[in-house]
Amino acid sequence: MLGQLLSSLTDGLLLGFVYGLAAVGLSLIWGVMTVINLAHGPVIALGMFGTYLLFLKGGCNPYLALLAVAGMGLVFGFLIYGVAVHRVLNAPHLSTLLATFAVNMILIGVGTAVFTTSPHNIDFSLGSLEVGPITVPATRLVAALGAILFTAALYLFLYFTRPGKAIRAVANNRKAAELMGIPSAWILALSFGLGTMLAAVAGGLISTFFPFTILSGGPYELKSFVICVLGGLGNPLGALIGGLLLGGLEGLIPTFMPVSWVPVVEFGLFILVLLFKPSGLLGAK
Amino acid sequence: MALMEVKSLASGYGEVQILWGVDLNLEKGKLTTLVGSNGVGKTTLLSTVMGLLKPRQGTVTFGDRDVTNMSPHARAKAGMVLVPEGRQLFTTMTVYENLEMGAFSSRARANFKQNLEKVYDLFPRLQERAHQKAGTLSGGEQQMVAVGRGLMAEPEILMLDELSLGLSPLLSLTLFETLVRLKGTGLTMLLVEQNVNMALAVSDYAYVLAQGKIWLEGEARQLMKNDEIRQAYLGVVGH
Ligand SMILES: Nc1ncnc2c1ncn2[C@@H]1O[C@H](COP(=O)(O)OP(=O)(O)OP(=O)(O)O)[C@@H](O)[C@H]1O
Ligand SMILES: [Mg+2]
Repeated sequence: MLGQLLSSLTDGLLLGFVYGLAAVGLSLIWGVMTVINLAHGPVIALGMFGTYLLFLKGGCNPYLALLAVAGMGLVFGFLIYGVAVHRVLNAPHLSTLLATFAVNMILIGVGTAVFTTSPHNIDFSLGSLEVGPITVPATRLVAALGAILFTAALYLFLYFTRPGKAIRAVANNRKAAELMGIPSAWILALSFGLGTMLAAVAGGLISTFFPFTILSGGPYELKSFVICVLGGLGNPLGALIGGLLLGGLEGLIPTFMPVSWVPVVEFGLFILVLLFKPSGLLGAK
Repeated sequence: MALMEVKSLASGYGEVQILWGVDLNLEKGKLTTLVGSNGVGKTTLLSTVMGLLKPRQGTVTFGDRDVTNMSPHARAKAGMVLVPEGRQLFTTMTVYENLEMGAFSSRARANFKQNLEKVYDLFPRLQERAHQKAGTLSGGEQQMVAVGRGLMAEPEILMLDELSLGLSPLLSLTLFETLVRLKGTGLTMLLVEQNVNMALAVSDYAYVLAQGKIWLEGEARQLMKNDEIRQAYLGVVGH
């Protein structure tokens, strides 16, 4: 019993890192340009299919494929920003919501036409690891490490490189950034690209152990929202920790009650945080 | 020779037009003051000159380039630098990072080290506070960061909007002394100030903005003697 509990908790926490990574992407975009990216889910799904195709058709190791998926995610985010977001950025929030929702619908539509909605999966295993009573599939452990790696890389980028610092400057005061010679439109596009990249990578990591369809991104998008609220929207570190919290809960809950209660608890928590600590569990005040 | 020339510039917000044809001629190496009562459009003029606001009419020329349709960041890169009203620091970033962002353009980055030394020399306090978040500094220190950040951009023309607002008389004096030092290095400056007395005292030339147009202009020391100016802007009660 205890062994099983520990195993599922570990499982959940490892998955939580990947949830966190997806949420960091959403949080970054919000933090820099106060846009809620409703195309987050399908981008996660495209990350899954990108990895799948490179693995199946290109014969690529899934983790190698992931690096390519990251690059494609970055470029794809640039495109989404340029085509759908840039022009409505200064319009009321509803416009950016509608714009990213339109992108969401287009991606799901095209994805359904190309991949149908039947489940796909990557037939790949690294065996499993046993530590005492705990057994975890190695792919999950690698996925968690990958998520940590990408989050750490983002942090280093934002704090120790010129374009990264420019992202923080634009997030803090776009007008002042322009006055200092920072091309804010490019920096916004870069931020959107990075947010999209992280979503795609999270999708790719998940695809190494769960089957998926073009619609699979949806639940992860919702989880990203919950996590962002837990951790404080716009706070990437909070997002990672929120991810762990959510993953941990998902690991524990099924041991005590039917799995179908998981979303009830998650969204109950979401509402409680919104009511009592709207700046997030880690947010100021 | 005029370094920056503004010709019949008209600008405003939505339905409201604030500026109705403003002309400025900023001579290279000179310190010029723009005087005007509250809400007359001084900040609007500087925002339009920098391209933050689209002009409805008129042109801005810098050096021999027409910059009227350039983006603000391109103007900054070309050497037009505004220290905006209300400081507008990157409050969540450190003092050092603010200075780094000042030197974002490739031109300014090339001389980052020398410029940083100059700024630390002008404001030793900034070196002490280099790794503190800009938002946690005192008002005076924040104003130093704003000016320092502007200088890091290696301006050919430095525009300063309400430099001394909210600062103690002593600190204002220090900042004005800094301006005089900068003028000594040949820097061209345009100053907008509440403290008209002090501004005119250090300036070569001055413009008075009223009702959306330049109402009066001339040598700063001439304007200081003008009765209308003395009554309206220097707080001197008429004879
Ligand atoms: N964003 C804005 N939207 C609409 N009106 C504005 C805006 N900013 C300024 N105004 C109006 O434009 C006019 C000029 O404002 P501006 O800030 O340029 O004045 P100012 O001369 O800089 O005043 P002060 O000395 O108080 O700084 C004011 O009547 C102000 O209310
Ligand atoms: Mg003003």
